[in-house]
Amino acid sequence: MIEQFLMGLSVVLQPEILIYAFAGVIIGQLIGVLPGIGAITAISLLLPVTFYLDATSSMIMLAGIYYGSQYGGSIASILLNLPGTPSSVVTCLDGYPVAQNGRAGLALFVAAFSSFVGGMIGVSILVLAAIPMTHIALRFGAPEYAMLVVLGLLAASLVGTGSQLRSFAMVLVGIALGIVGADATTGFYRYVAMPEFADGISLVSLAMGLFGVSEIINNAAKRDRTAPKIKVNMRDIIPTRAEARSLGGPILRGSSIGSFFGALPGTGAAIASFMAYATEKRFSRTPEKFGKGHLPGLAAPESANNAASQTGFIPTLTLGIPGDAVMALIIGALILNGIIPGPRLMVDQPMLFWGVIASFFVGNIILLLINIPLIRLWVLLLRIPYQKLYPVIIVMICVGVYSHRTSVTDVVLTLAFGILGYLMKSHRFEPAPVLLGFVLGPLLEDNFRRTMLIYRGDFMVFLERPISAVLFGCTATLILFSIYSTIKKHRHRETPHAVKQR
Amino acid sequence: MLRTLLTAVPITLALALPTFAQDSFPDRSLRIVHGFGPGGNADTVSRIMAEQMTQGLGEPVVVESRPGAGGTVASGYVSGEDPDGYTMQLLVGGHAVAAALYNSLPFEPVDDYTFLSTLGQFPFFIAARSGEYASIDALIEAALAEPGSIVIGHSGVGSTQHLTGELLALETGADFIHVPYQGGAAASTALMGGEVDLIIDTGTVIRGQAEAGVYDILAVTSADRWPDAPDVPTVSETVADGFDVISWTALGAPAGLPENVEATLSAEIARVMAMDEVQTQIAALGARPQGSTGAELKALIERQIAVWTEVIDTAEIERR
Repeated sequence: MIEQFLMGLSVVLQPEILIYAFAGVIIGQLIGVLPGIGAITAISLLLPVTFYLDATSSMIMLAGIYYGSQYGGSIASILLNLPGTPSSVVTCLDGYPVAQNGRAGLALFVAAFSSFVGGMIGVSILVLAAIPMTHIALRFGAPEYAMLVVLGLLAASLVGTGSQLRSFAMVLVGIALGIVGADATTGFYRYVAMPEFADGISLVSLAMGLFGVSEIINNAAKRDRTAPKIKVNMRDIIPTRAEARSLGGPILRGSSIGSFFGALPGTGAAIASFMAYATEKRFSRTPEKFGKGHLPGLAAPESANNAASQTGFIPTLTLGIPGDAVMALIIGALILNGIIPGPRLMVDQPMLFWGVIASFFVGNIILLLINIPLIRLWVLLLRIPYQKLYPVIIVMICVGVYSHRTSVTDVVLTLAFGILGYLMKSHRFEPAPVLLGFVLGPLLEDNFRRTMLIYRGDFMVFLERPISAVLFGCTATLILFSIYSTIKKHRHRETPHAVKQR
Repeated sequence: MLRTLLTAVPITLALALPTFAQDSFPDRSLRIVHGFGPGGNADTVSRIMAEQMTQGLGEPVVVESRPGAGGTVASGYVSGEDPDGYTMQLLVGGHAVAAALYNSLPFEPVDDYTFLSTLGQFPFFIAARSGEYASIDALIEAALAEPGSIVIGHSGVGSTQHLTGELLALETGADFIHVPYQGGAAASTALMGGEVDLIIDTGTVIRGQAEAGVYDILAVTSADRWPDAPDVPTVSETVADGFDVISWTALGAPAGLPENVEATLSAEIARVMAMDEVQTQIAALGARPQGSTGAELKALIERQIAVWTEVIDTAEIERR
């Protein structure tokens, strides 16, 4: 394994290939910063270029764009509450408050460092355990996915800072929005008021509206327009010793969660980062600090989404099966080069296979090296008076959303979701659970109904299959634990009272 | 103000004029519109054609993606454009499926088009996990022996892959369970993981796995054996006589194209289709490069609409 990896390194360190790795991650980084424009747009624009490149260079460049955009996505989330990619929505939750407290540089540093560690752990798993991970991923059928999503939805109600009831209500709103479009099981149209809705509401519209646009309205409505204090000294960028110590656990847990979810085709980085955040909050001794600028709440999801974007290549490289739309494009580039991706890729094209994996290793180092010095530059962005910045941001959001599906309806919807997001915020409802419900709802429905079709309506299948039974057990434990801790809290409150009465 | 307006009149006229002077077609940029996401198969084929036609026609040919509702958003748009030859559409096999599947389309799938030429044709392959079934005959026997025991994974309700599975059931009398996935890749994962027994999909999804020994290709859906895979028997020669499903990519334009414009475009497409470079690129996408006359394309589409309408009626698939 290590030997082949070193051979891969020798491939990627050739200057004529290294330049494409470099170009890929830089383009990805820039694309990730721009709100709404995702890796998929950039990759499809660059796809014709790969006609003229060999397979290895094409793969390395396109892959660089993909994971580079995960790095870039965190920057606008932290500085402007503007998730550059759907998976950086979670980064907004604690990243933006840290910046508001005047420590934007610190937040960017923590994000870059967590991303780096997450990415590296993801690559290591790709090198050491690609094949075993593939076998695990293949054991995830419809019942397992359904149970996994139930667990995820439960975790979703933990993501918000307010009451769990309010969070849960927002999850339901998200699920309702996710229903719009063609029913995947029967093809029946649900809530398709016009043909533009036939493919459902775009995740990008929803994320940009609820986070980005609503934040702009919110800021414009504020009386107090003083910009947050900005510190750009190197000392304020580096975390204190105590802060650094508090990040080790979250980064490692986030990376593990991310690596796992990344390898499952069809779930991806967005769900990984939500799960990492929910886990940290659930097991934290200070859950009340989350959402108010708590560094572990930033480090965990950032390491998770970068780990996931690396292990996301496992099904693509070992099976030739794309885990998401971006991977499908990357595989398309291979096909155009006359290579049919499949399980034989590793054997037939070892230089390509290991070269690409080694390029992730190199790419992550490049990203860390360019991101740390850039932090001071990004922070200066906040010096621009907000009233001059927001028209530019609105235009960029509109362009980004439009570029996804070339749909004007999506742009209008984004602005509508912005207004909805503002109203929600002013009534203390949080947008993050909406998004999670939106992503997970259809996933649950599809997999549940698929299970029922395949196993002819037999509910016992969820308990008969081992992985699904374990997931069911986790869900049940989490519910019981929540009930238990609520009762315990209640008792605690009552006991001193009882003492006094005596 | 008035003077400005008056100056504008001749300019406007000059700009409007070329629309009438069709002898000089084309004298401005042309578009190939398609109804799928950037980077997909339809987009790639459009770009291959656009690149060469730009050279041949001497005017830029631009590719425009208008995705939505299985390509019907783009069709509604193109069929409403002027039939001046400056707007073309890249059509795929799904066009015939949409004609059969949708209750109310904002366009007429045949009458609203001037069909130009097919570009590529490709069959579907029927695959099972390696060693599960000795042949397509064995599979159908097993299905007939125990109705409802065999599960087919397909790439979405109303996809050509799905309807092909339904057609196979109709023609052989076998009773399959059809399970939808989000695209061919997800269905292929389900086959590998053992959740489904069978998939029917294009060569790009199946052949890499078959070469690696993961899948056995049981049959091909085209009427005759496919030149690229001469060892694979057809469905027609084994279990369902006359079975013939192929998908295709083609170029069309709004109905009512002037004859000289149609002739110019057809000749140009024929020239491009004869190029070795283009043939190689289309073949790389898993298709057989194949030009045709407009009439042949129209006949193909009409035939397929009839087949799919029957399949949808008999299988009682919900129309949308």
